[in-house]
Order: sequence, then structure tokens, then C-alpha cells
Amino acid sequence: MSNEYLIKVENLKKYYSINKGLKDVFSKEKSYVKAIDDISFTINKGEILGLAGESGSGKTTTGEILVQLQELTDGSVTFDGYDFADKSKEANRRFRQDVQMIFQDPYETLNPRFTIFETIAEPLKIFGMKDKDEIYEKVIEALEIAELRPAEQFAFRYPHELSGGQRQRVAIARGIVIAPKFIVADEPVSMLDVSIRADILNLLRNLRDKMGLTMLYVSHDLSTIKYLCDRIAVMYLGKIVEIGDVKEVINNPQHPYTKVLLSSVPIADPDYIRERIEIDDELPDQINLPVGCRFEPRCPFATDKCKSVDHALFERRDKQWSACIYTDKELILKK
Amino acid sequence: MNLLEVKNLDIDYVTKEGNLKVVRDVSFTLKQGESVGLVGESGCGKTTLAKTIMRLLPDNGVISGGEINYKGENIVTKNKEEIRKLRLNEIAMISQSAMNSLNPVYTVGEQIIEGIRSHTNMSKKEAIKRAEEVFAIIGLEKKRLKSYPHQMSGGMKQRAIIAMALSLNPSLIIADEPTTALDVVVQDKILSQITEIQKQTKSSMIFITHDISIISELCETIIVMYGGKIMEKSSSKVFFKAPYHPYSLGLQNAFPSILDIDKGDLISIPGAPPNLMGELKGCRFKERCPFRTDKCMEELPELKEIGEDHQIACHYPERVDEFREESKKKETWQMVSDRIINESKGDA
Ligand SMILES: Nc1ncnc2c1ncn2[C@@H]1O[C@H](COP(=O)(O)OP(=O)(O)OP(=O)(O)O)[C@@H](O)[C@H]1O
Ligand SMILES: [Mg+2]
Repeated sequence: MSNEYLIKVENLKKYYSINKGLKDVFSKEKSYVKAIDDISFTINKGEILGLAGESGSGKTTTGEILVQLQELTDGSVTFDGYDFADKSKEANRRFRQDVQMIFQDPYETLNPRFTIFETIAEPLKIFGMKDKDEIYEKVIEALEIAELRPAEQFAFRYPHELSGGQRQRVAIARGIVIAPKFIVADEPVSMLDVSIRADILNLLRNLRDKMGLTMLYVSHDLSTIKYLCDRIAVMYLGKIVEIGDVKEVINNPQHPYTKVLLSSVPIADPDYIRERIEIDDELPDQINLPVGCRFEPRCPFATDKCKSVDHALFERRDKQWSACIYTDKELILKK
Repeated sequence: MNLLEVKNLDIDYVTKEGNLKVVRDVSFTLKQGESVGLVGESGCGKTTLAKTIMRLLPDNGVISGGEINYKGENIVTKNKEEIRKLRLNEIAMISQSAMNSLNPVYTVGEQIIEGIRSHTNMSKKEAIKRAEEVFAIIGLEKKRLKSYPHQMSGGMKQRAIIAMALSLNPSLIIADEPTTALDVVVQDKILSQITEIQKQTKSSMIFITHDISIISELCETIIVMYGGKIMEKSSSKVFFKAPYHPYSLGLQNAFPSILDIDKGDLISIPGAPPNLMGELKGCRFKERCPFRTDKCMEELPELKEIGEDHQIACHYPERVDEFREESKKKETWQMVSDRIINESKGDA
């Protein structure tokens, strides 16, 4: 892994305006859902960053902005030296070719009337490849990398003839066939049976190890993030609350929200006694967000001070940043 | 006495293509107050089994053999009216999609109270009181009874459904992935509330999930199903330390953990579950088992006692040490993967 970043996200915001009724049309004040509210991070070349958080935290939106499925509201994203605001032909070609997405549902992303070959060949054709032999070769190579063997046999099957895991492999093969530099994988294993998830996780890791792919892995499942990722960013209501090396964050969480998330994961060991941190499990209203720290209303450690902070990140341990104004020691004392 | 006794249960789905032998020769018992977790791959028949105990099979589902004895009476032969009484009063089911089954035009309170009153002869006042009680236990404010479903979050709706299921103090709770659609924090809290209630009321529970770690925390007993049959049944304490069946050993390799124990690389179980349509010969796990022999191809292993409260369906319980050792290795499962590819070449 190099220390050179491939992606740099600065002060990214994504607001959705909502019209509640006729009255709102005439009033000056608009209501917004602040799906992403000023986040910054980088992803190094060859690195896998895990993006964790509950539904509504903004993690999927972040992924979709990085593959340009959605426009950003404010802030900037640079990819491999090109700014997302750059609308030149060359920049556009780069983004479309170098950035690919793998979705959650392998059932929905494949066209049932296309053979696997047609599905995987499509991006190649879009990017102007015409030579039939060359296309065939590339498709077979992608199938091999996605470990769909014998590739020559799989190529001419239809999606309904494949298992869920095989379909997700086809989606991955399609994602890598034009040799992208960066992949966003949004919950790529959550629809798959647990007994076959490991294969897909290992495959994603191999893509990084062998092809040097950079990845954003979006998931609510901390155990798969721990298995696959180098670093983790934890989101809460549109903010990054903690970011750092994945093992460090999971073993030594610094932010109370990260602590809560981790303490909620069941453990497959009947002798293990898990300490639950009790909190209110309802998310606050997404439109009238809490002032100050967004987690304050639910945080078991909160003080009055927390009502007027702005989510600045503090480096609490080596390269591990937390948005809590208190250090881990201070939090422990509060308990 | 056993609360529930499932004996040699066979269930089929009648389809145009033929009969799907979805559950075969399933037997287990459940004591009063016991909770058992049911795991297994998608399609192995967990929901079918649960629905059958509630006698909620769809029209094309048939119980083609066996008994389900609940408090000593066979549910299989009961008529519609007897079954209606049994539901809710005695056996309550909470399913994953249940929160979408709330009627949008009535308040949640109206629906619960209606449910209670149609199954008991409580007055409206008593029913309201009971609804408030169960809401309190499951962590919902009383005022929520006046909410419409659209005014509640997913977690609240699922809680309301659970409250409804528990409002009549059922002796048996069947929970079919009751929290799968929810975020971890919500899931964790609801699970602890369910267990709390279950302990308080000493009801028994069948808990269906894909996540074996939930079973480890929630249930005394685990049943591992595969292809419509029980592969292993054990106390959770024993199972999570030392599973026996090759399928269970494979499952153990496949689960990531957030604990800082280095299990090495995760390994999937190559292949896919068996097709339950045609003629079924031999062990159901034979296509994917690294240790199969000629005997496994021909002969179906019976579920046998191998220790206290511990049963497995494998011809080779005495080879368990070898199986445990070998199943940790990647090559063992790679061999299965290669074998499957070779066999599929033969078919083509
Ligand atoms: N009404 C039906 N008619 C025909 N086949 C059905 C019907 N309902 C379910 N099946 C099939 O029966 C098998 C068992 O289904 P079941 O829903 O019991 O599995 P499950 O173990 O609950 O799976 P999951 O983990 O995905 O919920 C599957 O192959 C399924 O496709
Ligand atoms: Mg099911």
C-alpha cells in the first residue's frame, strides 16, 4: 500500500431539500435532509476503506457520490488528480472507466435476458472495444479472476441458472472487466448466505492484492469490515465520528458511538460476557438535527459542553481520529 | 413434560415441476422455558418448519407425514377453529416482514386491542391495560398506542408486532428472523427485550436466524438444518466450542468475528444446497462434504445420539477429531470446490 492517495474528499456535503406542503413553497426557509454534512477523508492507492454506520448515516450516499451516481451539494472530490468539478471530456472518460460500483443485490443488477457473456461484455463495448476475439478474451479473463470456473461454461449461462454467490461474482466480473482503479462495493455480501460470504470477501481482497485496486467497502457489518478493510470510517447522521486503522478502532474505539456500535454486536462464544452500553435506540429526526454533537441526545457520556461542539476530529491515538471532545480516559472516568 | 414434540415430520410443496421435499424426517423436542435456535442456509426449510408448527403453510404445502405434539395434542390433525385458538393464545409467531403487515389505516393500539379481544373475553378496558403493559416491557411509550404505522420507525413497528405477539402470554414463541431488517443497535436491544420477556413468562422459544452468534447468546440449544433435515442438535455451550458435523465445521470457518482472535482466513463451503425436487439418495450434504465416502452417496445417515443432548446425522461420528483438524485447512475445501467443477464438467 502506498501513501499516495487516489481519492481525496474535502468538506463534502449532500443536502436533499424537501417540500412539506404548499406553505413551504412560499416560505423562505427550506427544510433539508442533510444526508452528508461536511466530511473529509482520503483513500490511498491500494487501500480498502470501510464505511460503517446505521441506516440513515449517509454511508451509501457517500459511495454513490464517489461513483458519480449522485451530484454533490458542496465540497470537493478529487480522483487520481482530476477534480469532480472538471467537466472536460478527458476527465469524464477517466471517471467512467476508472470507477466502478458493485451493488448489494446481485439479483437486481443483472439483466435476466442477457447471458453472462453479454452482461460482462457490455462495458467493454460501451468503451469502444470492437474486436470480437479481444472482447471474448477479456470476458473470460474477468470470469477467471472472479473465480467462475470453468469460465467458458459460465459465459453462456443466464442469471437464473446461477446461485446468489455466483451472481455476485458476475457483478464483480463486470465491475473489473474494464480494469478500473477504484471500486465502491455497497453491502456486496449482505444478501448472500453467510456460508458463502467468505468467498466474496476473499475475492475482493484478492482484487486489491493482485490488481492493486482501491476500494470503498460500505457496510453496516463491523465483522466483515474488520476482515476486509485496512481503515474504517464510522458515520453517524451525516458526520464522520471516528476514522482510523480498522483493528485499532475496533479494539480501542475512541468515540462513544463507535463504542455503542461495537457493544451491540453479538458474539459467537457462549462464555463471552458482552458488556452492553445502554442507549436509546431511536435515531433523532433527520431534519431537525441536534445542535452541537449529533450523538449528544443519545450519548451516555454527554455533558452540556457537547451541545455546542462542531464535530471537529481530534487525533486521539496514532492516526486514529475521533469527533468526541473527550479523550478515552475522560470517558472511562465518567462511567 | 415436553411442551413441543416434533416427530418424523415430512413437509412437501406441490409444484408444477413436481413435489419439493422441503422437510424430511425432522424430530426434536422443546421443554417448557427452553429456547432453541434454528440455523441453516437459505432455503433449507426453517420458515417452512416454523409455519407448519403454526399451521400456516400456504395452500400448496402439505404435511405428508409425522406428528407435531403440542402439550400432548397432535396439531397436525386439528381443525381450523382449534388452530385459530391455538395461535396467539398458545403459540405466537414473529416474522421478519411482520412490521409491514400492520394495517396503515388503524392505529397500532386499535390493532393490538382488536387482536387481544378476538382471542379472549377481555373487556376493552382490560385489553387496553394489557396492551400498555406489553408496550412497557418492549420499550415503547404508552402514547405510541395512538400512533399510526407510518408515524413509527422500523424498530418501533417491529416492537409493536412483538408486543402484539406476546400480549396473550403464549407458551411458545416462534421468532423467524425477527430483527434481520434492523440496525445492530436496535436489533440488540430488541433481542434483549425478547429474552427478558421469555424468561419472565417462562415461555419456550424457537428462534430462526442466519446469524449463529445470536443463537450463541440467546438459546440454550442449537439445531443446524441442511437441505430439509437436521444435521446437528446440541447445547449451545458444547456446539460453539466443538461442533461435530462436517457441515457445522464448515459453518464455523465461514463466520467473521469482531473479537481479536486470529482465526486465519475465512473459508466458504463450496457449492450450493441440494435440489429437493427429484429422488434424494444418501446424505444431503454429500455434494459439499470433504469427508464423504461411498456409503454417504448411498445411505442416508440417521440422527444419532453421540453425547448428552447432542445428536448428529453423520455416518462417522468417531472420526470427529480428524474432521475437525482437516476442516480448518483451506486445501480441504479447495478439494471440494475442484470436485464440484469436475462433476459439473461431467454433466455438461
Ligand atoms: N409455497 C411454496 N411453494 C413451493 N416452494 C416453496 C414455497 N415456499 C417455500 N418454498 C421453497 O421451499 C424451500 C424452503 O423454504 P423456506 O422458506 O422454508 O426456507 P428457509 O430456510 O426459511 O430460508 P431463508 O433462510 O431464505 O428464509 C425453498 O427451496 C423455497 O424456495
Ligand atoms: Mg426463512
